[in-house]
Amino acid sequence: MLDFTWAWAGPFCTMQLAHLGAEVIRVETTARPACVTRLIPPFADDIPGPNRAGYFNQYNQGKRAITLNLTKPEAIEIACALVKQVDIVADNYAAGVMDKLGLGYDKLRSIKSDIIMASLSGYGQTGPYKGFVGYGPPASAAAGMFYGTGYEGGDPGEIGVSYPDPNAGIFGAFAIMAALTHRALTGEGQYIDQSQLETALVLMPEGLLQYELAKREPERQGNHDVVMAPHECYKAAGDDEKWVSIAVGTEDEWRALCGAIGQPQLAGDARFKTAAMRKKNETELDQIITAWTKTRDRWDATRILQAAGIAAFPSMGNKDLAEDPHLTERGYLVQLEHPEIGKRIHAGIPWKMSGTPCAVRKAAPLRGADTEEVLKSMLGLTLDRIEQLRKTEVLI
Amino acid sequence: MDNNAKSPFSAIKVVECGEGIAAAFGAKMLADVGAEVIKVEAPGGDLARRRGPFPGDQADPEKSGIFIYLNTNKRGVVADLTRPEGRDLLGKLLADADVLIHNVPPSERAARGLDSATLCAAYPKLIVTSISIFGDTGPYANWHGYDLTVSNAGGWAYLSPGASPYPDKPPLKCFGSQGDFQGGVHAATVILAAYMHRLKTGKGHAIDVSEQECIAAMLEMNLMHWTYAHRETSRLGSRLLGPWFIADCADGKIFALAVEEEQWKRLVELMGNPEWASDELFKDRIARGQNQDALKALMGEWLSQWKVQDLYREAQKRRIPFAPINTMRDLYESEHLAAREFFVPLDQPGVGIVNLPGMPSKYGRTTWSLRRPAPRLGQHSEEVFCGEYGVGRDRLSELHKAGVA
Repeated sequence: MLDFTWAWAGPFCTMQLAHLGAEVIRVETTARPACVTRLIPPFADDIPGPNRAGYFNQYNQGKRAITLNLTKPEAIEIACALVKQVDIVADNYAAGVMDKLGLGYDKLRSIKSDIIMASLSGYGQTGPYKGFVGYGPPASAAAGMFYGTGYEGGDPGEIGVSYPDPNAGIFGAFAIMAALTHRALTGEGQYIDQSQLETALVLMPEGLLQYELAKREPERQGNHDVVMAPHECYKAAGDDEKWVSIAVGTEDEWRALCGAIGQPQLAGDARFKTAAMRKKNETELDQIITAWTKTRDRWDATRILQAAGIAAFPSMGNKDLAEDPHLTERGYLVQLEHPEIGKRIHAGIPWKMSGTPCAVRKAAPLRGADTEEVLKSMLGLTLDRIEQLRKTEVLI
Repeated sequence: MDNNAKSPFSAIKVVECGEGIAAAFGAKMLADVGAEVIKVEAPGGDLARRRGPFPGDQADPEKSGIFIYLNTNKRGVVADLTRPEGRDLLGKLLADADVLIHNVPPSERAARGLDSATLCAAYPKLIVTSISIFGDTGPYANWHGYDLTVSNAGGWAYLSPGASPYPDKPPLKCFGSQGDFQGGVHAATVILAAYMHRLKTGKGHAIDVSEQECIAAMLEMNLMHWTYAHRETSRLGSRLLGPWFIADCADGKIFALAVEEEQWKRLVELMGNPEWASDELFKDRIARGQNQDALKALMGEWLSQWKVQDLYREAQKRRIPFAPINTMRDLYESEHLAAREFFVPLDQPGVGIVNLPGMPSKYGRTTWSLRRPAPRLGQHSEEVFCGEYGVGRDRLSELHKAGVA
């Protein structure tokens, strides 16, 4: 796979392919801002440097990296020569950029007839907004996620992370796997036009269909659920960051909760007798549960409730995640040797496959680490030629 | 009705035992590109049937919007997997299936005949896929959870809403059921990889997808703030960069964002170069993040004079990444989404035409289509079990009376 992606959505997509075993060659250049994630903190031990950025190193695990200055015609020739030898090309530039670079789908298909090309843009390659700039946070706004999210009775809220970016990435990975499967079954390659907005909208059916079927906009309800109650993140003992989420979905769970918090009589309380009554009286319910949680350590509360079969879990911060015994035991947290910053914990692969050795194979590449090796082994370029291309700023 | 004959994916037979969203969405991803999916429901029906939204807010298990959305293109059968006769029916389906996908929690699998190791041994070519809150192994494997649990266990809620001034308000879950949807799309992606592997080797797989891990992998630089620089993140505090806020326009709300210096320069021009913009307080994007309250107050009057759509276009014309705080209605009425034919009309018996969110990725070759409405509970039990898997009609009738099918 030849990977022209940058920022977050694209690299998150191609990392999934690397996780699944693909040989991903990441194309970067210092001549364009394509290496933006190498320039954003946090840096390892707060020492800035393009190989020290957590953002880049997290989302480029398992890939190789070459430098190619796509403003130079020779660089485009090299890119085209590489295309001949790959199965997949991915980019997440705004619509039209790859065409302008001379790397549009028609060109790539003329080089390799069964190439699969995936373009992950903000608004798609067609339609009146096709050239609009898409970032993750405004994509959340555009997709209605801000409108639906927020504390009860309050204004539309932000959602904490730039969620439509990695979401576009995983949908892009699915689309590429579908195209690979299609090719395996038919021999045909194809082009994939993916809009970040649309990949976010397919996650919004509860809101969209409420409007479509009942002509009502979704109401902001904090952590509450349309049906389940209790369903909230409750204050636990400790500072402003200590909370425990509790959700009850069945009558059995409700009775178990009453017992676990030492108030079995609540199970027979008329205010909370049915799911509908609990939902109606959830403010009172939340107060009762908070009175129990707020004096308890979030993990103690979690263990007591889980032992009774109730869905409870602390709200996890980054330190909690990095030190979590469950994620550690599952091998999710990955620490591979990186030539410049040593071993650091990264998020690994969120699935396990029994039949293949599915693992992160290497830490993220240093900038341009594999330029020489890739150009030699795939294109047969000599060291002299590579040196010359460096001097003429083709390989920067 | 069935125009699926051409799809190469029609060769892939999927059995889904999904409750709610995760497995049903994973199976939908495969069904929408052409896979043949049989959905197995318990006699009481998938709980998505009971969640709505419903036409006119009238609850009806055959009219649930979320159920319809998740289960188009599938045939539906009923089998009670907690009973041996129900597990026999499932066994018949699995004997010639390529993929099984379910989201039954690890602690309940053995009783339903869904233990991965047992199934892999019995059906060595089958791709057995489980989606769960915490994964199949590890100290929390048997813990219970819902989507709210995932959003907290994965670390997302801890960061949300972001730059919050309300320390007494809790970590906030995003709208919808995002942990469950991520479990589904991740599973579907890995299933295709396993299918490619099987095309080459003939071997099946057990796939274990953890929703907690899916979400924890999607939080930008969250983890690395700790593992690289020993800084804890929070839902509280201020924005790193600015402008970055939700603001009122004359007829609605807009998300005002300009994170690159060039974008800010163009925004200042669009605002008519107000004097305050050259103040030291706003000298670079970091200062603008730190002094966002002052910035928001100063920009407020200018913003309030615009109509949302006009400002959106004018900003985007200058490559400033503003976006409207769209309502659901805005989205159904969007000219851009209409031009891209994003919403797809489906004729659902008993409901009529429902415009469903459509394809997440546009394929040049692969056919994505909604070719079949969502099944009524047990609609295809006879067609599938009797017509295709050799169960006698009398036997099915007995099983029906016994409450198994």
